[in-house]
Amino acid sequence: MTDFGRAVQRLRQKLAWQGTGLILPGLLWMVFFLIIPLILIVVLSFGWRGAYGPVDWGSTPAEFFSRMSLDNYVRLLDPLYLGVLWTSLRMAGLTTGICLLVGYPVAYYLARVAQRWRSLLLFLLLVPFWTNFLIRIYAWMLLLRTEGLVNQTLVVLGLIPEPLQIMYTPSAVMIAMVYEFLPFMVLPLYTSLEKLDPALLEAASDLYSRPARSFLRVTLPLSLPGVIAGTILVFIPTMGMFVVPDLMGGARTALVGNLVQRQFLAARDWPFGAAASMVLMALTLAATLLYTRVSGFGEELVV
Amino acid sequence: MTTRHSQGLAVFTGLFYLYLYLPILVLVAFSFNTQRLNLTWEGFTLHWYDVLLADAKVGAATRNTLAVALTSTITATAIGTLAALALQRYEFGLRRFSETSLYIPIVIPEIVMGIGLLSLYATLKISLGLTTITLSHIAFSIPFVALVVRARLHGFDRSLEEAAMDLGANEVITFVRVTLPLILPGVLAGAMLAFTLSLDDFIITFFTNGPGATTLPIYVYGLLRRIITPEVNALSTVWILTVLVAVFFSQRLESRET
Amino acid sequence: MSNKRSQLWKGMAALAVIGLALAACGGGAAAPAEDTDDTAQTTSSGFQCPAANPKMEVTSTEVNLFVWTEYVPPDIIECFELVYGVKVNRDEYSANEEMYAKLSAGGAAYDLVQPTDYIVSLMVRQGLLQKLDKSKLPVISNFDSTYMNLGFDPGNEYTIPYQAGTDAIVVNTASVPNVPQSWADLWKPEYAGRMVFLDDSRATIGMVLLTLGYDVNTKDPAQLEEAKNKLAELVPNVKLFDSDSPKTALIAGDADLGMTWTGEAFLAQLEVPTIQYIYPTEGAILWQDNYAMPVDAPHPDTAYAWLNYSMQPDLFWLMMRDFPYTNPNKAALDYAKGSEIVVKDSEGNDVTPKQLYDAYINSPVTNTPPEEVKKGHRIDDVGDATPLYDQIWTEVKGG
Repeated sequence: MTDFGRAVQRLRQKLAWQGTGLILPGLLWMVFFLIIPLILIVVLSFGWRGAYGPVDWGSTPAEFFSRMSLDNYVRLLDPLYLGVLWTSLRMAGLTTGICLLVGYPVAYYLARVAQRWRSLLLFLLLVPFWTNFLIRIYAWMLLLRTEGLVNQTLVVLGLIPEPLQIMYTPSAVMIAMVYEFLPFMVLPLYTSLEKLDPALLEAASDLYSRPARSFLRVTLPLSLPGVIAGTILVFIPTMGMFVVPDLMGGARTALVGNLVQRQFLAARDWPFGAAASMVLMALTLAATLLYTRVSGFGEELVV
Repeated sequence: MTTRHSQGLAVFTGLFYLYLYLPILVLVAFSFNTQRLNLTWEGFTLHWYDVLLADAKVGAATRNTLAVALTSTITATAIGTLAALALQRYEFGLRRFSETSLYIPIVIPEIVMGIGLLSLYATLKISLGLTTITLSHIAFSIPFVALVVRARLHGFDRSLEEAAMDLGANEVITFVRVTLPLILPGVLAGAMLAFTLSLDDFIITFFTNGPGATTLPIYVYGLLRRIITPEVNALSTVWILTVLVAVFFSQRLESRET
Repeated sequence: MSNKRSQLWKGMAALAVIGLALAACGGGAAAPAEDTDDTAQTTSSGFQCPAANPKMEVTSTEVNLFVWTEYVPPDIIECFELVYGVKVNRDEYSANEEMYAKLSAGGAAYDLVQPTDYIVSLMVRQGLLQKLDKSKLPVISNFDSTYMNLGFDPGNEYTIPYQAGTDAIVVNTASVPNVPQSWADLWKPEYAGRMVFLDDSRATIGMVLLTLGYDVNTKDPAQLEEAKNKLAELVPNVKLFDSDSPKTALIAGDADLGMTWTGEAFLAQLEVPTIQYIYPTEGAILWQDNYAMPVDAPHPDTAYAWLNYSMQPDLFWLMMRDFPYTNPNKAALDYAKGSEIVVKDSEGNDVTPKQLYDAYINSPVTNTPPEEVKKGHRIDDVGDATPLYDQIWTEVKGG
């Protein structure tokens, strides 16, 4: 190698060391507080609970490893739990779908409206987003109770003979979750739609006689990154949601998140809970990967 | 877009905003209700705000929340910015692994990270409390800071830095005097994101909190599970107003700047 | 997008400032007093704190309580903080299993917990509790002997009684014309979708076992399987499971009947007089909550001080006002019987301890009739069968 070659190699190494040095604190933190806990969960999912305690580690690590089994996963194959997984997928999907249907027109309007209104409207959109989500759930709890405002209004207007039982049903959970995640959908959609060149849309409406066609053929595909980002931002947290069903779902709404939460707190079967959360994570990652494969990550959309 | 269409959209958007604000407005309105059980409107009073201000637990929870948020924001921003610089500008062996580990918290449901951390602390027999909460908050904030700062670094014009180095500044001085001021908006944005994430966090805090380490979201959750008096409404109203004022001020400051 | 970013940054700075201001002016009530003289102090609700009798020596500045939700009167906590100058940290749980899980997982350092009878023997066996030093507990003479020396803790080595009561049927007779008389009645289709049950695996499964004629503490897997199937029939009819505040659903009209504890039923009755507490024909479930000290309690001195002060007769009678359960503290009951001091109840009305005592004694809810006590069933630790119960609970609740 020439002197020059050696010098380049030394420089590259120095840069590599610099890079490693810069990344090190972050990397160590993630390894310790993310990677290791995740590995722990994976290991736990093959284990057993003790007679009373959350985990039976056995008297030695060797003993624990020799007793590892797929029992928890097999248990999850029971139709009961598959039903829970399916309900979670369905609810997450429905929530995402409704958010998309409701959010798209609003995002479109925001992207087209006059500039002077736009910042005000965006500001107003963000304000509920900035309040803590528990407060927003509480607001719906108040409204949806049997003697809450929604029922009272409907009865007073004569639309229903007696109060609807909304609270403590899956419907209540859906209403709250949609409300919760709408801003997550509208914002990426808006960002994507705002970037659209109006000239393109003009050209599209010149080409296609019906607005519906120009929308489907031009606008929608161009806004796809926003759609993808918004969908991911809604779908992932909704899959793991347990707070809303916990507070508003009553006895009949159990999602995967609740299953995991209960196993880790009240039911003290951490290995089973770990297995359930592994499945949850697998499902979520699979769905996300599917999306990103289809369209790229839409990096320019994220903040 | 035809006028009819835009009118239709305007109406739809109007209804949308109504739907967005109605629950909150009702919440605020009922904070003035005299009826303790808050089922129907009985009368107007400011009593519950008195109760709120005298409530020691709320004060303690707020202090805890802010302490955790500040600590985790500062730490996460520092670590995250360094990480962003590393990933955006350098080639090194651990690059792919680091990148992946930084993306994971963004794409997994929070509950998985929550139970993971709980299991870690339990296995290591670490006492649950404000410390464990803060450590956990830093962990989920770093990826977001890194993401934001990276976005800012993307397409960053390095010629200024090169000019500085040509003029004789070493790397550290260049970084402090040239790079940092230029990426500062991105760093601050990341910091702010980290602050918000920590302030609002419920799920991860739920699994990693301990005695005397209640944060405001956890406290509200506890209240929601019991007899809900208008005090919760009062707390929510104050929270909403604070946010409103803060965002309003920032808008004002920002428009003055431009 | 940078528009929003810097806006948000400034916003957050302002938020932080405002938040700090709020935190600083909030929470004024419980500033621990430096002087711990015995002159009477007043809580924020206007209650006059009695002097500590006897006053104990403490060096710690905090005490960590892990207690049931809705179970410790705020006035008692405030008085303790004022009189002793010690900060009270209170965390809450709504199920014994939750408390047990936190304690056995280690890492959470509490000074006192409130286990129910059946979980005490389990916790003792697992080495989670320490023996109480009776020499530091003069308060022990306050208790009615009926509640002492029970099967789950012979000789009261690890626990002292707190409150007792029953689990039975609660009904809003205004919306339910056909009042159920037995646990088995609750399976009737007419009650579907209107019931609230305790989110408590042992109590609810135990109740199901009673309807089948089995023992609430059975370990027989065949019987438990039967119970699981029977419970699975019931769950679709249950509107919600709630062990945090079952009375909320009843008062708000979200549920019309169900299963709950004495205190909740009593309080619900105060708000909605048509709510009745029915002792089922199969027998109610008896329980007793107790104070116990975890083995790694960081502040035992303040813990003992808390036990002695909070359960003083001239203070503990507040339970009858705030959380009326059956009260094993005989001295407190005697004090209330003879006291005419005036305090405010939750509605702001004046009430005397004597009035509360009369209401307490005359109510079959708080003053469990002797024949119901005889018919009642007490839950006990089931040892190795515990995972079976937990599993049933997980499966019937669908997770």
